[in-house]
Order: sequence, then C-alpha cells, then structure tokens
Amino acid sequence: MNFKVIVYILGWIMVLEALFMLLPMLVAAIYHESQGLSYAAVALGEGAVGGAIILKKPKDLNFYLKEGFVTVALSWILMSAIGALPFYISGDIPNYVDALFETVSGFTTTGASILSAVEDLAKCNLFWRSFTHWIGGMGVIVFLLAILPMAGGTNMNLMKAESPGPSVGKLVPKVKKTASITYRIYIFITLAEIAFLLLGRMPVFDSVCNAMGTAGTGGFSVRNTGFTTESPYIQWVVTVFMILFGINFYVYYLLTVKKFRDAAHHEEARTYLIIILLAGAFIAWDIRGLFDSVGDAIRHSYFQVGSVITTTGFASANFALWPETSRTILVMLMFIGACAGSTGGGIKVSRLIILVKTFFKEITSYLHPRSVKKIKMEGKPVEHEVVRATNVYLVTFIVLFATSVLLVSLENKDFTTNFTAVAATINNIGPGLSMVGPMENFGHFNPFSKLVFIFDMLAGRLELFPILLLFCPGIWKRRKSE
Amino acid sequence: MHNPLKKEPKEQNKNRLSIIIAGCGKVGAILVARLSAAGHDITVIDEDPTVVQRITSTYDVMGVTGNGASYSVQMEAGISKCDLMIAVTESDELNLLCCSMAQRMADCASIARVRNPDYAAELSYIREQLGISLIINPELDTAQEMARLLRMPGALEIDAFAKGNAELVKFKLPEKNVLCGKSVSETRDLNIDMLFCGVEREGNLFIADGSTTFQAGDAISVIATPINTHRFFKKIGIDTKHVRNCMIVGGSKTAYYLAKELEDMNIDVKILERDGKHCEELALQLTKTLVLNGDGSDTKLLTEEGLAQTDSFIPLTGLDEENILLTLYAKKYSKAKIITKINRMDFKPITDNMDLDTVLYQQYMVTERIATYVRAMQNSIGSNIETLYNIFDNRAEALEFRIRRGSKVCDKPIMELPLKKNLLLACINRKGRIIIPRGSDVLMPHDRLIVVTTHTGFKDVEDILA
Repeated sequence: MNFKVIVYILGWIMVLEALFMLLPMLVAAIYHESQGLSYAAVALGEGAVGGAIILKKPKDLNFYLKEGFVTVALSWILMSAIGALPFYISGDIPNYVDALFETVSGFTTTGASILSAVEDLAKCNLFWRSFTHWIGGMGVIVFLLAILPMAGGTNMNLMKAESPGPSVGKLVPKVKKTASITYRIYIFITLAEIAFLLLGRMPVFDSVCNAMGTAGTGGFSVRNTGFTTESPYIQWVVTVFMILFGINFYVYYLLTVKKFRDAAHHEEARTYLIIILLAGAFIAWDIRGLFDSVGDAIRHSYFQVGSVITTTGFASANFALWPETSRTILVMLMFIGACAGSTGGGIKVSRLIILVKTFFKEITSYLHPRSVKKIKMEGKPVEHEVVRATNVYLVTFIVLFATSVLLVSLENKDFTTNFTAVAATINNIGPGLSMVGPMENFGHFNPFSKLVFIFDMLAGRLELFPILLLFCPGIWKRRKSE
Repeated sequence: MHNPLKKEPKEQNKNRLSIIIAGCGKVGAILVARLSAAGHDITVIDEDPTVVQRITSTYDVMGVTGNGASYSVQMEAGISKCDLMIAVTESDELNLLCCSMAQRMADCASIARVRNPDYAAELSYIREQLGISLIINPELDTAQEMARLLRMPGALEIDAFAKGNAELVKFKLPEKNVLCGKSVSETRDLNIDMLFCGVEREGNLFIADGSTTFQAGDAISVIATPINTHRFFKKIGIDTKHVRNCMIVGGSKTAYYLAKELEDMNIDVKILERDGKHCEELALQLTKTLVLNGDGSDTKLLTEEGLAQTDSFIPLTGLDEENILLTLYAKKYSKAKIITKINRMDFKPITDNMDLDTVLYQQYMVTERIATYVRAMQNSIGSNIETLYNIFDNRAEALEFRIRRGSKVCDKPIMELPLKKNLLLACINRKGRIIIPRGSDVLMPHDRLIVVTTHTGFKDVEDILA
C-alpha cells in the first residue's frame, strides 16, 4: 500500500470540502443565521489541515486498484465525519451519531433522515444537507479528478472505485477530461431543473435545494410535507428530472457529440425506461380508486416510481398506505435501482440485464448441454470476468443485506420496517415502508442500528467492495521499503 | 566534473494529438507508456480483452476491444477525430489495412509496422500507394544500424545528421588512451575539425565544455563529418578499419537483412542456423553468404568456424539470454567487434552494467522512431524544426533548425550570443558544407543549425537564446 499518496489525496478531499462549506456560510450570511459560524470554524480547521498535507506532493505516485478502493472508502468516511460537525456544533442535531447519519445519508444520496420536522433547521443547515446530495451524486473523487493533475493509472483506479456500475468506462481517453465532461453535464441538467422549478413559482431557496436533491438522486426535502403539497407542475418537473438523473451519463455524452442513433439505442437506458413505463402504468391502475382523477393517479404513480427506481426518495403521496401490490412493486424497484454511470443507487439496471441474461443462458444449457452462448450487452460481448463480478456482487449484496436485517431486528421492530429500512439505506433511497415510510423518519432507531444503516449507506453508494476491503487485514500491511 | 544534467519535466504542450494505437504487444505497450506520458490522447485497440484491460488500468488511455482494421471498431475508437494511427499488431497485412482504412476515413497520418522480408524491397511503393506516412521495419532498421557500426567498429553508436554529412559518434575511451586525463581545451592540438558533445560516466550525462576532463571508461560523443571522425579516431589510436568478415549466429529476419547489407559492403558473412530448411531458404536468397547448418550455441562449432579469427560477431538468436551469453563467450575467446541485439527493454538496468560493448535494443529503436515522428508532427505547428533526434538514451535532444532571414541569432559571432545553459551548437550545415562552429563563426540565413540540448520544447531557433 502506498499510504503517502492516500494521505495526499485525503488532504485534497479536506481542502475541497472546506471550500464546499463556503456555500452554506454564504446562505447563513444571506439569512443572517449564527449557525453559519460553525461552518466557518469547521472549514477553517479542515482547510488548514488539508492544506498542510497537500503542500508536499509524495514522490512515489504509484497507485493500484487496491489503493483506489481504500482511498475512496476513506475519503467518504472522512468527508462524512467532518461534514457532520456543523450540524452537531450548531446544535441543530444535538447527537453526533444522528448528525453523522444525516451527513452520510446526504453524501450517499440516500435521503433517509432522523429529523421529524426539517423546517426547524437553520437554512444553512438545510442547504448543506441538500448540497451533500449534489456532491455525493457524481462523487467527490470524480470532482477531484476533474481538477487535480495526477499521472498514469492513478486516476482510473480512483474513478473505478467511486463510479457505479459493473464495468466503468471512459468517455474520452483522458480521465481528467472524462470527469470534467461528466461534471459539466451534471451542472447543466441541475441548472435546467432549477430554471423549471422557478418557472413553477417555487421559492429560490427551495428550487436550488430540491434541484440538488434530485440531481444527486438524494431525497432530502426542505419541507416537512415533502412534495405532497406542491403543484402538479412541480411534481411533473421533479418526476422527469429524477428519471433523467437515473440515466447513464454516457447517453448524454453521446447526445453532446451528436450521436443520436447510438444514444437512442442504449440498451440499459431503454430497459430502464421500459421498466419505469410498465411499473408506473400498473401502479396507476392499481391506485386509481385512491385519487379524484386518473390524471392524479398517473402523476403520483410515476412520481413514486421515478423516485424509488432512481433511488431518490422524494414522495408526493404517502405510498406506505397504497395497496399491497403497488407497495411490493415499489420495494422491488428499490433493488433494481438506476442505470450504471448515473447518480442513482441500487443494484443497477445493467447488472440486472446481465443477471437475467445469465439466467437464460443457464436455462438453455439445461436444454442443450452443449450449447455455446455468449452474453451480450450494448451489442458487445460481456467478458466472463464482468459476469463473475456481477454474480459475486449479488451474493455479497444479499449477505450484507441479510446480516443488516438481522442486526437491526435486535430492536424488535416489525419485519416490514426492518426489511425496508435496510433496503432503503443499502440502495440509497431514503424512505421505506411502515415505521420508515415516506412520512416517517429513522429517528426512532437506537444508535447501534443507526451505525448499521450508516455502514449500509456507504457500502451501497460505493458498491460494497471499497468499504468491505477496509476490513481486510492485508490492506493495512506496509510495503517493506517503507 | 561539473554540471550534471537532469532532463527537465516535459512542458505541457497545448497541441496534443489524438492517437490510436492498434495492437498492444510489447512495442504497443511501450508506445502507450511513452506517448501517454507526453500528454497525448490515446485510444488502444486490441483483440484480447485482457490486454486492453491491463493497459487501460495502468495508463490514462481508452481501450477498445476488436479488430483494428474494422470500420466499426475504428469508428468506436474515434477515428473521425484522430490525428495519427499507429498499427503495430502481429500481422503486417492487418497493419497496412488498418492504416490504409484510417487514412481514407479520417485523412490522418499513419504509421505501420511491416516486417516481412517479402515486402522489404517494396516498402516505399506500398507507402505511396496506400497513403501511409511511415512504414517501419524494425529488423531492417536494426540491420542497417548494425551495418553502420561494422563500418566503424570503434564506435558504440552512430547517429547521422544532415543527410549523413555529419555524424554523432559515441565511443568508449579505452584504458591508457592519449585522451585519458586530458581536458577538452587540451585536445586542440589534435587539429581536427570536430566537437566533443557529451560525456557519459556512471549513468550521468555531461554536456562537454572546455574544462571537461576525460577518464578511461567514459562514453564520449563527438560530432564531425565522417572523414574527420576517421581522422580523429586514427589520431587517438582507435581502430577505424571496417571489418572484413562477420559471423552471425541465428538466421532470423535481422540476420537476413544484415547479411544483405554486408554483402553490398563486400564483407564476408557466415550465418550459423539450426534449422536445415531455413538454411536452404537463406542460401537461395543470399548468394555470397556462407550459410552453415549447425547450432550456434555449440561452442565447439564456433571455434571450428573460426570465432577466434573473426573480425565481428553478431548473435541474432531469438532469445535475449542466449544472445547475451554468446556475447560474453565471444568477448572472452576473440577480439571481434560484437553487437548484441536485445529485444526486451525491461532488464536494461542490468544489461547496461554487463560490459557488452554495443547493445541495440530493438523495441527501443522502434518506439524511438515513432515517438520522434510524433514529436515532429506535434512540432510542425508553429515551429521551424527540421528534424529532431533523441540522443543519450533520451536524456538530450538534437534539433535541426533552419535559420530564417532576420533571425536574432544571425549576423553576430556565436560567442556574443546570450545562449542558454546546457546547450551546445553542434554543427552548421551551410549549403551542404559542414562547419563545426567556433566562437568566431557567424550564423547566416538559410544555414541549418544542429543544437544539442537537455532542454525540451524548443520550437524556434531563437529559443536557444537565454
């Protein structure tokens, strides 16, 4: 392990986070809130430490996949641990574990909250909550790669560890350029959403926070009532943008380089949209009796479907009260998740495609034991390594999931609560059903369960292995030369 | 010794090229490493997904799996925005097709590696017909380099400048030579028009100036016209007679090309080849060469065939290890000039310490030529560099500039020019006449000036001024 480079990158992460904290300070200044001082204090301390670290660039910049994994995992933990401090210091969230839960939930774009009334928070804290979604959505390391010149394989190994999906590719030959293109697309769509929300007469502060919450597919709302009281126009705008942010960003890149045909034929995006279309239509039909008009049913159905499959977690209606079939479908969508290479979480549509195709290949091999088939995606053969990694991912996911449900069940809450609470955190969604439904929160769990959820959220966002690797003793062994 | 030089980090060049490299074998991988370090946008194509995977996780490049000559694969690799296609797959025909396709689709420059001797004579015709910018035949290049060295056995390396009118010759200073212990300024009495360029000692490179002192074992580089190099070697007592005969072990492609070159120079060639059938083929193609069917690593056979008496000995088996062993053996039992060809660069730090005399790294030569071409392409925008050579294992560059009318370097004696440090005006080519510049010489318009420097990124001759 090359610890010097890891520390160096962590230093950069700290500097970046300190800079990010300037924005909530600005918000505090605008609204004349004293809580802004806690951000100033944390940013100053963090910036000083980080700045001292990055002053000296390590000589040995050799960097492999394992360093990438460890760096990313540690970055996220460090970022959350420090990002939680302002909540704690300002006194808005008096318990540190709660503050950490809220911050991890923010950075991992989960959107699960321990707060029952978010409007009690200071504006700057509300802003920071939503801003963490935006940073976490595309990933802070990717942001770092867009601005920090690093050499050779370093960048790719970092990007691989942070970006979601079974196989991480680049848009253009250089990682730096890829990262900056991705962020440009991200910023552009976010600004577009803010504009559309403003057109619907949403206040500026709400528009910005909600747009950032949608962009990162996070789900923190700035209103106690979430989106239930917003106008149909706002609800449709948010629905469309949630679904847009769940699409693989490669598709947007293809659009920017005017390869419209390739973009329209993107298999993963197509499958994703078809799933949304079908699930939304079915649920709309299922809940038609609950609303005054078919239009309302369709709107609420698609809002919830879009919110859950992209793992955003906004709610325009309390879907915990919907019929059993609709609720079951929504829970299933939680696991599917968004496209790889998007800001969404979950298992990812591309993995689902690979798994389903593997299943059919296996079935064929029972009928024709000598049959030879290759799994293809996007018209190209999927390497055996990727198929294997996908299978292992699923198994690891299930083991982690089951263990978490077991640990949370120690509190003796009902099964639906435990199951959906873990599902909502490990898939980075936010709300589940029953006691963690869209109108409830996670505040009633004990600190131990909250730590389990924190772990699940981080593991889910970083696709399990970076976080799990930290528990591998071999990782911490030093090289002989050091 | 003073001013030990380190090469400064490459300047960030704005005009990055977008390059596609088809085939990621050994040469492909070295090219990826060199060109991506220089900041170019690189996409690699290889049929083997594991190779692509390995390359893309080691270097900041993009990878595409597939056949490099296929239209759709080239499209996927972004041929439409490509500046240069480099085809270095195993197959000559694929390389040619690949480059030809790329040239037609994107009108980009292209470099193909073609090594089959069947095409060797027709390379320039193929190049023109298919619109390829550069065809590289590594074996032929190696053979030509070897032939050049056999012409002057005292030299370790020879680089030709100004269309061969001047050469940069590197030689090792033997024990008890007249130059040992002398400084550059004390060598004036040799009275030969030549210039000491650089001295390499224990892995360090020094650009020579008046006070530089020579020691036995130094690798000294001088620049002069071929005739003056001869006279210089004669004066300091280094053998300059070209070899009369040559013994080659192994009948590889390089051996064939080398034998051809040597036949033209009227040097007697013996080739020892294990495979009988292959011997017959060689014998058909090489009329004057003596082809022997036998194992070249059999020391008895070597002795029988006159290893002790041969002027030069070149092991060209397919195995680096065998070549090195044969070299060491021949060094012990003969006084022949020995050239060792080594394919793999990875063990260069070890082989450098082995006292093998002249070593040619074929991969290095290939990548060097391509990298030089790329730099020249990059420089062609807004610069007046005619040719660029990387010398001293890449630690310095020799640049050939054309001097324009009204340039700031004209009309003044050289000693009055405020030159940068770590830089040497090596030679002036004035209408084909080679001048080794002295302080009192004046540069004139239309001169071609060769500058040796450890700086990089020079674009104009005026960049030499401080």
